Amino acid sequence: MPRVQTNRMSPLAVMLLRFVGIFVAVLILLALIWPLITPVTTQLATRVARVGFHIAEAPNVSVLEARGDELWVHRIVGPGQITPFTWFDRYTFFALIPLMALFAATPGLGWIKRLTRLGISLVLLFIIQTSYVVVSVQLSYAAIGLTTVGPIATRMLDGWQVLVRVLWEAAPLVLWVAFTASTWTRQLRGLREEQKLCRETRSKGITVLRTEARKGWES
Amino acid sequence: MTAAKRVLAKKWIPSLLAAAGMLAILILLAGNETAMNGIQRSLALISSGILNLFGQNTVVIGTTVQSSLFGISVVTACTGIFITGLFLIAVVALPTRWTAKLIGAGIGIGSIFLVNIVRLVSLYFIGVHWPGFLDQAHQLIWQSLLIVIAVAMWLLWAGRWAYAPRTN
Repeated sequence: MPRVQTNRMSPLAVMLLRFVGIFVAVLILLALIWPLITPVTTQLATRVARVGFHIAEAPNVSVLEARGDELWVHRIVGPGQITPFTWFDRYTFFALIPLMALFAATPGLGWIKRLTRLGISLVLLFIIQTSYVVVSVQLSYAAIGLTTVGPIATRMLDGWQVLVRVLWEAAPLVLWVAFTASTWTRQLRGLREEQKLCRETRSKGITVLRTEARKGWES
Repeated sequence: MTAAKRVLAKKWIPSLLAAAGMLAILILLAGNETAMNGIQRSLALISSGILNLFGQNTVVIGTTVQSSLFGISVVTACTGIFITGLFLIAVVALPTRWTAKLIGAGIGIGSIFLVNIVRLVSLYFIGVHWPGFLDQAHQLIWQSLLIVIAVAMWLLWAGRWAYAPRTN
């Protein structure tokens, strides 16, 4: 007697639900801890960004200050005189959290590989985020005429600002994809093979059933 | 030419070039004030329409959805253009059939658009009822949810269409 087929979820749906579930759970957990660690990350970002400002500016006209979870950029306007120019809130560096959640939710990755790749990605993302602070301030200086740039560069300022913003937003995803692409390809290829096998088994089963039915009818 | 190089030239190069083209379009679009204003205003009008269905008396002023209780301004970052652009780049970059890519583009644009509308409407209600929670909901929760939804949609597309076994 043929077995009654139960209405099971497809392996792809199971994998996706598991991925989203782990992501959300880890994200909630880390988001709760985030307010506690954000003053430390802001302090560290301020130190790293200071190096970036020293490289980008000659003479160095920006003074950075970490105020709790905010990174403030002041501009030197005269001898011993500084004025606040802009600030970056704690959300500038928040992408570190979804990046950790993405790595935690990635299936088929061993713990050592997972932690190593996560570590490298976090360092790279942190460098990208602090570079974003440096570059976006330099572009703002240029946009309001505090730095002189050529006419072609002036016309392209809007485009540069959008590009920097896109890179900043895309960075966690790009890093995660770069470090897990091979794992995902393997997983998706595995699913394809499984689907193929299911289809073949099903068509073979149908043929067997048809033959059996014919035999039964003929006898 | 080795087999690997042939695969690279035939499959990956056109896809990566298309992805670079998509990035250029995204940058041009996001930098175009008229186009962005149109998208922002459309989103504001749709959100306002939905909010009014729930009994909120909102009006759209420019790109701001305003009521006597609260107002939300739809700026470039709120349009979901960056995440949609990234999704499309990821779809185009994967070497697969162009019909599959078109399906992926449709899924991405449609789902991110819908999620973004839900996001704007929910942020309005959060702003009215729990204003203290608005900042976290806006910056932490929805940003992260948009990322995971886009990734899940991409994986769904890749698993269902791009990596699906051919039927013929």
